[in-house]
Parts: sequence; structure tokens; C-alpha cells
Amino acid sequence: MSKLIDVEKEGVEIKKSACYFCHQNCGVLAYVKDGKVLQIEGDPEFPTNQGGLCCRGNVALQHLDHPTRINYPLKRVGKRGEGKWEQIPWDQAIREIGDRLLQIRTDHGAEAVATAGGTQRTDDWARRRFMNLFGSPNGFHNSHLCWIPTFMVETAIYGWCPFELDMGNSRCLVLWGQNPGAAGMPEMHHITEFQKKGMKVVVIDPRYSETAAKADLWLPLRPGSDLALALSWIHVIIYEGLYDVEFVNNCCEGFGELAEHVEPFSPEWAAPLTWLTPEQIRQGAYMYALNKPGNIQWGTSVDQIGKPAGSTMHARAILRAITGNLDVPGSDLLTGPSPDFITDEEMEANEWLPEEQKQKQIGADRFKLVTWPGYSRIAEETRKVWGKAPTAEWMCEAHPPSVFRSILTGKPYQVKALLVSATNPINSYGETKLVLDALKAVDFMVTCEYWMTPTAALSDYVLPIAGALERPTITSSYGCSDFLLASQRAIAPMYERRNDYNFWRDLGLATGQADKWPWETVEDAYFHRIAPLGYDVGTYDEFVERYRFHFPEREYAKYQRQGFATPSGKVELVSSVLKDLGYPSLPPYIGPTENEIDHPELAKDFPLVLTTGGGFMPYHHSEHFQIRDLRFLRHEPYMDINPTTAAELDIKDGDWVWIETKRGRIKQKANLTPGIHPRVVFTQRGWWYPERDIRDPDLAGALESNANILTSTADEDCDPYSGAWANRGLLCRVYKHDAELKEAH
Amino acid sequence: MARYAMVLDTRRCVGCHSCTVACKVHNELPVDMIYNCVTTVGPTGVYPDLHMTHLPLLCMHCATSPCVDTCPTCASQQREDGVVFVDDKKCVGCQACIMACPYGARVMNHETGAVQKCDFCKDRVDAGLNPHCVNTCHQKARIFGDLDDETSEVHRLVHGEKAVRLLEELNTEPHAFYIY
Amino acid sequence: MLAVDFFFAGMGGGMLVLAGMIELFIGEARTSFLGNLLGPVFMGVGCGFLVLELGRPFQSWRVFMNPKAILTAGAWIMSLAMVAGLAYAAFGIDPRWFGSESFRWQQDQYPVRKLLSVVCVITGLVVATYPGVLLARHKGRPFWVGPGLIPLFLLSSLATGSAAHFLSGFLIAPEALSPVWASLPSLAGGLLFFQLVLWLGYIYVKRTGATAAEAASAQKWIDGEHAGSFRYGFLFAGTLLPLILLLQPLPALKAAGAVLVLLGGVVMRCLVVHSGRDRTWLPGEQKYRGRLPHGDEAFLKASWNR
Repeated sequence: MSKLIDVEKEGVEIKKSACYFCHQNCGVLAYVKDGKVLQIEGDPEFPTNQGGLCCRGNVALQHLDHPTRINYPLKRVGKRGEGKWEQIPWDQAIREIGDRLLQIRTDHGAEAVATAGGTQRTDDWARRRFMNLFGSPNGFHNSHLCWIPTFMVETAIYGWCPFELDMGNSRCLVLWGQNPGAAGMPEMHHITEFQKKGMKVVVIDPRYSETAAKADLWLPLRPGSDLALALSWIHVIIYEGLYDVEFVNNCCEGFGELAEHVEPFSPEWAAPLTWLTPEQIRQGAYMYALNKPGNIQWGTSVDQIGKPAGSTMHARAILRAITGNLDVPGSDLLTGPSPDFITDEEMEANEWLPEEQKQKQIGADRFKLVTWPGYSRIAEETRKVWGKAPTAEWMCEAHPPSVFRSILTGKPYQVKALLVSATNPINSYGETKLVLDALKAVDFMVTCEYWMTPTAALSDYVLPIAGALERPTITSSYGCSDFLLASQRAIAPMYERRNDYNFWRDLGLATGQADKWPWETVEDAYFHRIAPLGYDVGTYDEFVERYRFHFPEREYAKYQRQGFATPSGKVELVSSVLKDLGYPSLPPYIGPTENEIDHPELAKDFPLVLTTGGGFMPYHHSEHFQIRDLRFLRHEPYMDINPTTAAELDIKDGDWVWIETKRGRIKQKANLTPGIHPRVVFTQRGWWYPERDIRDPDLAGALESNANILTSTADEDCDPYSGAWANRGLLCRVYKHDAELKEAH
Repeated sequence: MARYAMVLDTRRCVGCHSCTVACKVHNELPVDMIYNCVTTVGPTGVYPDLHMTHLPLLCMHCATSPCVDTCPTCASQQREDGVVFVDDKKCVGCQACIMACPYGARVMNHETGAVQKCDFCKDRVDAGLNPHCVNTCHQKARIFGDLDDETSEVHRLVHGEKAVRLLEELNTEPHAFYIY
Repeated sequence: MLAVDFFFAGMGGGMLVLAGMIELFIGEARTSFLGNLLGPVFMGVGCGFLVLELGRPFQSWRVFMNPKAILTAGAWIMSLAMVAGLAYAAFGIDPRWFGSESFRWQQDQYPVRKLLSVVCVITGLVVATYPGVLLARHKGRPFWVGPGLIPLFLLSSLATGSAAHFLSGFLIAPEALSPVWASLPSLAGGLLFFQLVLWLGYIYVKRTGATAAEAASAQKWIDGEHAGSFRYGFLFAGTLLPLILLLQPLPALKAAGAVLVLLGGVVMRCLVVHSGRDRTWLPGEQKYRGRLPHGDEAFLKASWNR
């Protein structure tokens, strides 16, 4: 029954493509004949997945030609959300959109046009290029929730983000709020292999996750209390003499001040805040500090705790420095940007955005770290040492909630147009009600999508975008890695889909940017980027077929040669860059966005602690709920609750329950599990019900089980450094869904 | 003659269900048919002292398979190398094999009126390739091979590690081994 | 539906055994022609239901193909039973229905009749018993596994067979005058008694059985989902009440009792088949399957689910 494709006999071509359904971007072999993909499988020779392919990758063919894919440009007729569309040619759509944007620019300024993205799934440098040339500083993604603030804090402290883990030589890995066992399969595989060779694994996670179940030490902290844990670890490492004296003396600034700062932050201080015992806290610190070299793997959790986020990132970053786990074999490596190929930032045309436009970036007045003020300051330092800057489309963005508010309030000015690509803001941005109001109110909205999502349903134009097998892909960690992995498209885009690169380029051509887009196809642009590497290839496809990836020679301890890309040339435990931006130079203690100590009144009504945002198979954010084989495996949302808590609330396994915060409530089914603290609950993210009516107001159930109904993006609830909002550590309550639930989903 | 077997390393399995989906997709199964469940036992224990195991389930390709014995039409057959499969032409959909299998490995296809099951991707195996579920597993938690070949990975694991079989006491001689 | 198949086939087998045994050890024409005819006919009805339940009914001839399978052996033997039963029943055809004085082929056929009787007894016994053997061999079905179901199915077949022969006699009386027909209720009653004892013993042994799965499956008969039907359908209406009725002097009451015996047979087979849904579940399996869609969910009807 399993088809066996005989390559020779049937005239089948093998294309070296990529999955692209998540950041791991596993290599995929696509068997193509006559322009059709017959079968796909994991590429055994691809360094990350080595032939493996997860649930999502396996349904690529169902995704490719799904009956409900958007295949033609659509123009709204009738009211917004009414669901009435006219199919128009691509060129007409581009022309009309371009004209409208130009009109808006004339009437309100280029800054009145904003773009929204999700996680990295598209050629975002092309998006930034368009925006820079157009004159608008208001591009944004969900970057605040995903690595970007961490990147910038760590770059401020040690001159780049050491996201390249040299696990092969490592003796300890701390997974700080990351669960690769449920969502990052190649990474999990590598962890498993190195564990077999003796590497210790510490998992910091409120849930007994798939990865926690394989760990040597599981630290189930109170969601949002990572800062207390990090500060107490610094305390232990310093005051129990576990720090790397040589590295600290030779390479770090401000150790004395740091030591004084963390003096009160003992494990005994941290215990009631983290709900861990002092023994557990010490055990973790010892495991990391004494099993050297070691790694701290970033996880989205710290980016998603709201108010304490920036400070936590700083504290966590300090741990690498004081243990000397920086840029040495087996530790976290400061690879820096690639000097060899053209990085994303170099394709963004940032130099074309006028200064006065930069200053109009929404949110930059309050949140400096990942906007132009912080980005400029930090890029200044990185350019001195590395010669290049981090990717601006990610590291330098408008503050999304502030943009949504500007649409509704007109402050600081009203954003008139929203170009949405590769995101479903109704599902994925914080404080859903705010997002929904903004999307309904904005004058003009264009969505580039695979599917008719709730956001697309509210748009004026929906443009069909080509997916993974229909596009080439370069994987380079948001443009910040020194390596790249290259994949080619298996087939040309089907129907009238275009690559997202071409959307931005076509829009650029339609708005007077013609001379700035010399690369007609994505392959042309990619070839331009890899050409400086000097491989003997004439096209991008040739590079993929013959080489597939570029890994430069590894140089450890580069700081010995060039110092760190900071003002002092050393690791700034006391950060002068953060101080320049108006932030504390040492990480202060800040409690979670909502917590029982600082908000006792709130805790009376909302006695449980919520964590959400964690990934789980077989979905990815709000994707794949309409892929039948995946939906069959997990067709309803489940929230995790401890059995003792459930008993108190008279909740049985499988009951529908409400989870409510100050912002609103959602319903999910109860999964009783001892794998979570009795006072903590976890809700799954991303849920909507594509089989339901997509039109307003049902929006295919996007408001029913969507965790973002529960979150807040009010300024006072956000991280002062970056403006990141909290998905974790909020206060909530849970109760049974008494009303009879009609099986409408 | 070879004797094929599958080893499931539960120390590695994280319950991602990728093998379930790969199997469904490559066998083009109707949406409600699953050959290859992955169950989760736990977390068991009292917070925070917990334990959790994931068990990929599949047809055990038993040496004394009750399903082959019970089939009245000779549709259910076992090859010399141990692979148990269904010859669709001969199946009349009586479901006796479904009732006979202690492992729940067989599924009725209501569209075609016949019974189907995992066949170890025998066409691929005959061509020297691994079954799809083995290839797709990132964790390399599924190992397939010839149990009689002393140099094979399955042989090494079954004889060298702590390996058990499910429902061993029923004496069907299953050929899927679980490492723990 | 499988239960209905078992019921009819089993009853038919029992009827054949009875007809044959009486012919062999008591004498000719002691049983009703209708009863003799209904034996193979009921078997045929059972087979008919079985065929209809196949995924591919038109391919049903294939079930004769695997001599090593119990089902195939059963199919062959049931076929033989039906032929032998019909042939034997033919001896009871009244020539006057066809306007004849007599049929030559019906006379002086002592050896043929006895031979057919022997075949009927043997094949009838097999048909009455082999479903029990089939279920008893299901290692994966905790309520079924083990030898206990074999005598239970045989007894049920004989009891319902006796009841059916008795009821047939009301419509077409046996040709020869004898006390055999009138004794059938007592036979049925005796079989019911044995069946009751065996059932109580079976449930007890399963409940204290070798495995937890067996105990759990038996518990369902004691106070779980099968308890109501077992107590009121089988024990009361299908065993105790007919036992009393069958021992009454009034033929009408005996007939009522016989009908209840048939009811009890149906209820019992239904309960046994339902119990077969309990499998030797693997760790974590019930939770996994319990969370899968049931089939009526809205998303399954969407265009992207075909």
C-alpha cells in the first residue's frame, strides 16, 4: 500500500526542498514529475533532521493543494467580514493596493502604513525593504514574544546573541522554558544523543512536559517567576564561589557591582517567589555551574512574562558570563553575523529610511530596546566589531499593541493601513479584543495568506501566497547566524499564488521603487546573497543541488582577538548600553505581571496562575487545524489542570471548562494531570475551528478557545524594555462550563 | 531467511505522533483509520515526582498470529520473513481478524469493505528501505531490521538492552520490542 | 447483529441434534416436520445475516477457502448440516400436499434415515458448539477467552432448539403419536437449569479471574452496563420465568415458556457479543482512543474531510 517511487523508471526528479512549517526548517526531498509533487520525505542528508519529519512536515502535500487554500487574489465586495469576494488578477490587486498606499502616504504620511507578521516564515527582509523605501518605520511581527528582546539584551551585554549552542562538547544543557520534545524535533534529537553521551539536562518549566520527562532535573517554577530564579542562581554562583574567576577578571565589567546587587537574592529569598525549594534552586545552579562547559538554551517563556521580561533576560545572560560559558568549546557561541554572505540586514535597505521617519516609529517613545533607539545604539557597537548589524526586520520594530491602539485612538497618529502577511493577529497577538477592534476599524487591510483565516476574512484584499514546496528557502536564524542552510522549490507556485517576496517587490514596483528591486525572482535575490561565498555555482539552484549549506570554520574565543562588541570591549555585566537607553544597568527584581503578592485583591477573584503559549503537536500557532489527518488526532482544545484542583472544582477529565482572567474567558476541555502544580493551569494556544462560519461575528470560533482572549497588552502590563506582553504568570480562575454545549465544532 | 521485527525505544520516544501521521499519509488512509497509535502512560505519580512514557503501538507481526489463523478466506497471510499482511483481493470484511487481534492492530475500511493493517511497508522493505514510520522519527526511536541477523541494530537492542513485549503472556509471539 | 447470527445458527444446530438423536434412539417421525425443516432453515437464516454483514457480501464464497480456519470449517460443516437437515426433513413431507398417495423415495429408507440422522447429530453439534469454540480462542477478549463459553453456547443451542421444536409442534404436529413432543418442555427446562448453574459459575470464575481485565469485564455483568439486561432479560425473563412456565400443565403456558426461552437465547448472545468489545487494552490506549473523534463531529463533515 505504500507507494514506492522508482526514480529511474518513472522520470521523477528529486528536489531538495524544505518543510518550513517551523523554524527547524527540516530538509525535505520532494519527488516531482511533470510539475506535480508525487511524494515527500525527510532528507536523510540534511544536517538538522537527518531524514526525520514531524507530523506537520508529513502533511505537506495535503497543505499544498488543500481544498480551502486561497489560490486567487480576492477583493472584498460588500461589508467587511461579510464573506463576499471578487476574484481579480494579481496585477490588478497590486495596482489598486499600491495606488491606495500612495494616496495614504500623500494624505497622512508613510508612517500611516504598518505591516504585521507572525513568526519567521517568509522573506521578511523583503518586507522591510519595501517599508524602508516606502518610508514607513511601522513594520512589526510577534517578535516581542519570540527571542527578539532576548537577542537584543544579550547583544547589549556581550556584543551578539550566543544562540549557537556547541552541544557536541557540552556537559550540561539548561532548557529555559523550552519544550523541543513537543515542537522542535531535530533539536530534541540532538539533545537525546548528547544525553546518551553524558550531557546533563535541566528543564525549567511549570509543566511536566515531554522534554521535562527526559530531564535530569526538572524545576517546575511558578510561571513568570524566572527572574527570581535567575537572580538567585547568580547569587549562588557568586557567593558559593562557583564563578569562573579568570573569565570574570579578564573579560567582564562590573562584577563587584553585580555581586553587591545580588546579595539579597538568595535561594531562600527566591523560594517563595518561584514555588521551588532552596534545595531545588541550588541543585539547578550547581548542575549548570559545575558541569562545564554548559549551555543555556533560550526558550520563549522568558520573552512572554511581561513586566519582568527584560530584567530576566539580563539576569539569565549574566549566568553565561560569570561561569565562563561563553564562546568556548561546548558553550554558547558568539558566532556573530556572517562575514561571508549577504545577511538579511544588508538586503533591507535600512539606509534608505529617513531619520525623521525613524523617529515616528510607534512605541519607540516608551519601549526603546527593540525600536530605533535601542537598535541604533546596539547596531553601532556590533558594526564596530563585526562590521554588520542584526536584522532590523525583527530587532527594530514598532510596538504591535501600540499600533493597534493608534488605529483606535489616533495617538500618536492614526495608522490607516495594515498589510498583514504570514500571521493571523486575531489568534496570535495579545489581547484579542483589542486586535479585533483594531482590525475592524482600520481603513485599509490587505492580508497575504494561505488560508481564509479570521484576519483574512476581515480584509479588503486577500492575496494567495505560495507555501513551502513552492518556494526556495534560506535558513539563517532570522538573518543572525554565521551559517546558512539552503533549499530549493519543488514546483512553481500553483494557481495564481506568488512568493511573498514577489508581493513586496511587485508592490515596490507599483509605488515607485523600481530601481531598488533588481532581482526578479527569489532565486535571483538568493543567488545575490550567496554569491560572495565563492562557491563555483552559476545559480542558486545549483548551490542547493551541489552544496546545500554553508558552515564556516568555527573560531572559538573570538573575543581574544577582537574583544566583545560593547562600548568597553568586555562583557558588560553592568550594562552601559541599557543605561544609555534609560534602563537599569543591573537587573532589578520585578514580580510577574499579575501575581498574588503584588496584587492580592486580584488573586482573591483569580486564584490560579495561568501559563499559555507552549507549542504542542500537531499544530503550530494557529496553523493546521484544517488539515484533516492532524485535526483527527487532536480535534479539541485541552487545558492542563492538577487532579486535586479539579476535584475541588468538581471538574472531571474531559469536561468543558471556562478559563477566565480580567480580560475575558475561553473554553477548553480539562485534561487532569499531576504534571502541573495544583495552583497552575495551562491552556493550549492557537485554537480556532475552520469548519465553522468564517464570517463576522463567528469568525470560525476564533474567540471561543483562543488563549489570547486572556492576555493583556496594556503598557503597564508590558516589559518596560521591549514592550513584550505576558502569556505566562497571569492570574485566572477556572470553573465548569455548565450550560449544555451544542456540538457545533 | 530474515525475521523482521520493530524495536521501539521508549527512552527516546517523546510522543510527537509523527509516525502516526507519516503512516496515515503514505498509506493514504481514510481520515478515521489509524494503524499506528502513540499512547502516553502518565504522567503518573504525585507532583512533582512524576514519570511518563510514550508507547508507539503497531501490528506486532506475531509469529503465531491469531489473525492469520482465524481468517477464513486466506486474505490474512504471513510471509516467511514474518511480515503479516492482508491480500485485499481476498478479504471479505468479516472482521474476524479484528476481533482476534489482542493488540487492536487491524482496522476496518468502511469504504472498501475490507480490513487493513500495517504491513511493515513491505514493498519498501523488499527494496532495501525502511518503513515510513522509522524514517520519519526524529528521535530515531523506531528501529527496524532482521532479528535473526546478529549484526543488526534490532538484534543488538533486543539482546543487549531491557526489552519487553506487550501482552507477552498471550503467547502470540509478537515481534515488536519495547526498550525501557 | 452478530448475536442474531449466532442465535439462529445455534438454534438450528440444536434442532438438528434433537431431530437426529430422537430419530436414532427413540424412533421415526417423533418430531414435527416443521421443526425438522426449521432446523436447517434457521441455520440458513443465520448464514444469511452473516453474509449481509460482510464488508463485501458478494465475495462471501471466499469464506470456504482456508481449511485451517475454524470459520471455514464451520462454513463447510454448516453447509453439510443444512443439506443433511433438509434431506432428513424431506422424509416428513406429506405426499398429500402434492396430490399423491405416497412418495416411493420416502419408503423403506431405514439406512438412509439413520445415516442422515447421524450426520445431523454430528454436524448439528458442531454448528451448535463451534461459535463457542471460536470465541473461546480470542486471547484478546477477556470476557470470552477460556473454555467456558463452549458448553454455554452448546446448552443455549440445545435449549432454544428444544423450545423451537416444541413450538413447531403446535403448528404441525409430529406424525407419530408419542410422548416425545410433550417431553420437550421438560428437556428445555432441564437444560435451562444447567445453563443457569453454568452461567453463574462462569461469571464467578471470570470475576475472580486470572487477569484484571477479565475481572473488569465480568464486573460489567454484575453491576455495570450489562447488569440490567443480564438480570432482567436473561436470568429472569429468559431463565427463571420460562423454567416455571415450562413445568406448568397447561400447554399454552408451556408455549409461553418456550417463547421466553428463545428470548433468553437472543439476550444471552447479545450480551456475549457486546462483552467482546472489551479488549486486552494496551497501556494508555483507552485514553488515546477515548479522545479521538466519535464520527459525528462537525469538522468531519467539512469539505476538507472529503
